[in-house]
Amino acid sequence: MSRNARLLALVLAAGVLFAGGVRGDDTKPYTGAACTATVDDFYQDEVWAKVGAPICLTCHKKGGDAEESKFILVDPRRSEGVARDEAMRQNREAFARMARLKVKDQSRLLLKVVGDLNHGGSDVLKPDSAGYRILTSFVRRVNTPPTGTPSPDLMARDANAPPFFNGIVMVDDRRLLRRVTLSLAGRLPTDAEFAAVARDGLKELPSLLDSIMTEDAFYDRLREGFNDIFLTAGLDGNPEASVLSYEHFSTTRLWISKFDLSHIADAKAQQQGRYKLANDYRKALISEPMKLVEHIVRNDRPFTEIVTADFIMVTPYSARGYGVYDEVRSRFKNPDDPFEAIPVKLKALVGRTRDDNQESATGFYPHAGLLSTFQYLRRYPTTETNRNRLRARMYYQHFLGVDVLELAARVSDAAAVSAKFEIPTMQASECVVCHKTLDPVAGLFQDYWKFEGVYGRRKGGWFKDMFGPGFEGENLPPVERWRALQWLGERTAKDPRFAVAMVEHVYSILTGRKVLLPPKDLDDPLFVSRRRAYWEQRRQVEAITAHFVQSGFNLKTAFKEWVVSDFYRVDGLATVVSDPRRRAELDDIGLVRMLSPEQVERKVAAVFGERWGKLTDQLAMLYGGIDSKEVTERATDPSGAMGAIQRILSNDVACRNVARDFARPAAERRLFPHIEPDVIPGASPDGDAAIRRTIVSLHERILGRFDAPDSAEVERTWKLFAGIVKDAHEQKAFDKREAYACRQGNPPPPDDPHYTIRAWRGVVTYLLRRHEFLYE
Amino acid sequence: MRRDFLKLCGLAGLGLAVPYNRPVAARAKAKDEPYGGPYYVVFNASGGWDTTYLMDPKGVNGINRLYRVGDILTQGAHKYAPIAKHAQGGMSNEAFYAEFGDDLLVLNGLDYSVNNHAPGARYMATGKLDSLAYPTFPALVAACRGLDCPLAFLTFGNYSATGNLVAMSRVPYLPSLRKIANADAVDGNERSPYHDRFVTDRIEEALREEQAARATGPRLPREERGENMLYAAQISSKALERVTRYIPASIPKERLSQQAEIALASFKAGVGVSANLTIAQFDSHANNDPDQMKLIPELLAGVAYLLRRAGDLKIRDQLVVVVQSEMGRTPSYNAGNGKDHWSIGSVMFLGRGIKGNRVVGATDEKQFPIPVDPRTLKLDKEKGIRVRPEHIHAALREFAGIADHPSSKKFPLGVAESEQLRSLWA
Repeated sequence: MSRNARLLALVLAAGVLFAGGVRGDDTKPYTGAACTATVDDFYQDEVWAKVGAPICLTCHKKGGDAEESKFILVDPRRSEGVARDEAMRQNREAFARMARLKVKDQSRLLLKVVGDLNHGGSDVLKPDSAGYRILTSFVRRVNTPPTGTPSPDLMARDANAPPFFNGIVMVDDRRLLRRVTLSLAGRLPTDAEFAAVARDGLKELPSLLDSIMTEDAFYDRLREGFNDIFLTAGLDGNPEASVLSYEHFSTTRLWISKFDLSHIADAKAQQQGRYKLANDYRKALISEPMKLVEHIVRNDRPFTEIVTADFIMVTPYSARGYGVYDEVRSRFKNPDDPFEAIPVKLKALVGRTRDDNQESATGFYPHAGLLSTFQYLRRYPTTETNRNRLRARMYYQHFLGVDVLELAARVSDAAAVSAKFEIPTMQASECVVCHKTLDPVAGLFQDYWKFEGVYGRRKGGWFKDMFGPGFEGENLPPVERWRALQWLGERTAKDPRFAVAMVEHVYSILTGRKVLLPPKDLDDPLFVSRRRAYWEQRRQVEAITAHFVQSGFNLKTAFKEWVVSDFYRVDGLATVVSDPRRRAELDDIGLVRMLSPEQVERKVAAVFGERWGKLTDQLAMLYGGIDSKEVTERATDPSGAMGAIQRILSNDVACRNVARDFARPAAERRLFPHIEPDVIPGASPDGDAAIRRTIVSLHERILGRFDAPDSAEVERTWKLFAGIVKDAHEQKAFDKREAYACRQGNPPPPDDPHYTIRAWRGVVTYLLRRHEFLYE
Repeated sequence: MRRDFLKLCGLAGLGLAVPYNRPVAARAKAKDEPYGGPYYVVFNASGGWDTTYLMDPKGVNGINRLYRVGDILTQGAHKYAPIAKHAQGGMSNEAFYAEFGDDLLVLNGLDYSVNNHAPGARYMATGKLDSLAYPTFPALVAACRGLDCPLAFLTFGNYSATGNLVAMSRVPYLPSLRKIANADAVDGNERSPYHDRFVTDRIEEALREEQAARATGPRLPREERGENMLYAAQISSKALERVTRYIPASIPKERLSQQAEIALASFKAGVGVSANLTIAQFDSHANNDPDQMKLIPELLAGVAYLLRRAGDLKIRDQLVVVVQSEMGRTPSYNAGNGKDHWSIGSVMFLGRGIKGNRVVGATDEKQFPIPVDPRTLKLDKEKGIRVRPEHIHAALREFAGIADHPSSKKFPLGVAESEQLRSLWA
């Protein structure tokens, strides 16, 4: 037995322990009357939320490490509605039964959790921990029903607490519309859209979103957003070699080198053409997984197809690589478009030797949505020591929303456990608790082993010192092995956690951050506040999930529901909040998202008509972008380097656009349609009014603010504009033309004898530096 | 400017919920002066290093195939593995200890408590295993010491959480700093400013007024943080122009040396406080010895490069260096000649205020940790404690003079007074 199996074990074990914790208390507060005994708040909010779900449920469940014990809990996440309530009630009764049992006048429950009475999980709580105090209180309540009010510090919820969004200002409908069109379609709202929300308010938004979600720009954003999650664009190597294995595609994958470009006479141009062909081919191959996401959403297909689709998306170029181009050519609208993607079912892979042929009962490759794409398999490769555990971990994270490694419980002596057991992953309780869940899924990927994990069975068969292939306690029937990932996909689609995870993915695309995790530190004085924040968000996630499921897993439903939710519409506070408990509750409230490099470029294009074009490559990385390989998380706060880039952007974009806008006929201008350079502040009331109207218009266009001409905000900008003009006229002399760098373009911009064009440029620079432009 | 900046940060955001109290060591810094140190650098041997081939040599029980116990070398108080014959490039232990042994403090027998990469890296970086919210030490010290520095916390990988205290800076290529160093001039050319000076001044004034106006109104916590961090980033970015003169004409080829140059340029320019330097691929499940013999020398060469270059730049006396990994490697080889994850390891320190030529803690002949008396730092199998990352981080916070800073208190480590490693540094 490789020691690796033993050693990978220890913390993975803890990972699943936590995984239970992450989701374990994802239960709605008990409100129904479907059972005989109510699940009281103390049990639910204290015992279950803080101890039962995150600790006990990990092992004390069917399929868990303690399934042979007499204390068996039911995972409420695996059921919905009344069944979930029933699970909570059963769990409460199981706890109560344990609380009544005594050993020599001592509570059996309290002895077990500190590791006495041969508790298999050893000491899961310390006697001085908050969790232990909660159980002590519970045991006392069960054995001596309380006559008074429980101690306030253990009360989970403040019944008198005001509604969660009390005192929160929601964004008005116009600004919400702008937020949505910029976020999802990279454009400003149209006049018709503004008119629609002005007429019908928020209720009009879903239908507007239906329309927005038909635009190509939305699908660009969708693919970008899901790549941030799945990171499939970050696969290593040249895709024609890494995605398409030599063993199965040796005669087709390098079609580029033989492609007839003889119609290009010039040799150098022909070589350039071949380079472009190769680049487009690579891009097409890399983009296929996200094209699958697009295909599902664009066609209103159930998003469960992300794990069940029995096809992949291929383009005219990648189809040649797969060797299926002649078969599918007629289905392309434009066979010369390298990126048009259509669904295609591949035949079972044929290797260079019979042993490398893919087993298939149908003759087709057993597609299972994203799970079985070559790109996903290569992005998360396997090794002899890793044994597909990375894939299993990513599967849980991507499709069930469980990150098994994010929070690990401490093992008192991990090294000793490693040394004590021959196969810790199967024998040591600290390890088994996780590996019993993780390793079966790893086993489902077993036939995607050779050729760096694209496809191919492992010589000598699958590892015997691991829990066998399966999913959540169900073994993979041998007859299903050839389609193991399809088998997994089918179960994934039915798992209630899948829908929740997808709704959470949509939240992360819209907000740039993950949903809240339940607070873990029971001794944190702000624990109750943090947990309330978590619960409020959880309730919203669950409500949207229910609608998402009802809609047949149409992902557009999740987008629409999030957009109109309070969480997305929060805009600010009505009054200053200084109470630390309330501030803790509101800590994560509000969109307040720094735009990514891609989003900044799209916003510049939306406001000014063209992208800045410089937030690419190195500068994009410096601005917090990702490469999907080494750097996989976007920066959420601006560093000084990013502040410098913001200043360059504001200077440069204003430089490019202000004088050029004045060069256009007034009716064609984006920024200054109602003012001319000869309007000087203070020269006339009409002129001043025109300047203020222009400022209002710029505030709306660049910042998304709808300010009154006499507002403080407009006054500040007025002061800037008028101050610059005044300062200029106090100079001994100034050039009567715009700066050379800023008077490019055709037609040439007008002269600037009054310095007003440059003053407007200063205004635009100022606005582009503002929070309202750089954040959403 | 700096006073305004700190006032804004302190009043409303950047993770500071209470008024900002500058640590004693930072008080000497006058308004608008570059940050003058100390500078903190954490080297990460990402993937899990084999400490028995470096500072915790064994040579018994089949733990090492490249040497035996009798081959172990010494340098002052240090014992180290002989690798000169096997090292592939970089710097051997022999050369490293000869040059830096007198400055080096080693802690062996560190109990990571876990043996998987993600939690181990997080635990070692923050001192907290069960939270995703805690900042890494370099992020924390940057937040406490240099909030007004544009590149206060540089990171080149590994776990880099900031606890919302400070923005992390990723500067993958040193020359890219040239492009942004002079943000108010066309193509960075000082002779071609975008705006006349009086225009720039007006813009800055308007932004300052706008920020001040926002600060007086009701704001959500996220708004406060976002707006203040944005303002701080733009204001502090002006100091970046100081970096350009320290960008070397030629960029070294070695990956750690490249990272070191970026960090040193930011330190020397007074715009950086800390840096998280990383090389990966230590995860030697297959062919442990060749991998470690390539990577340990590369790591040591990187540390040496940083220290020597800091000497050239005359800031070495302000450097504090931590060299760490998220786990160790097993005391036995697997079937593939590799070593798997081991939850026991070591950490190295050297630099300003650290008394060198010392080794604290130990592992036994089977590579299990021997408990340590936290007060005397002597081995004590009976009453000692297992030194874990939170002990290291508590000591680091004390050492850096930030233990009582509000940002540190926001992220308590929960180390009992009786377990504090008070005498670790001297």
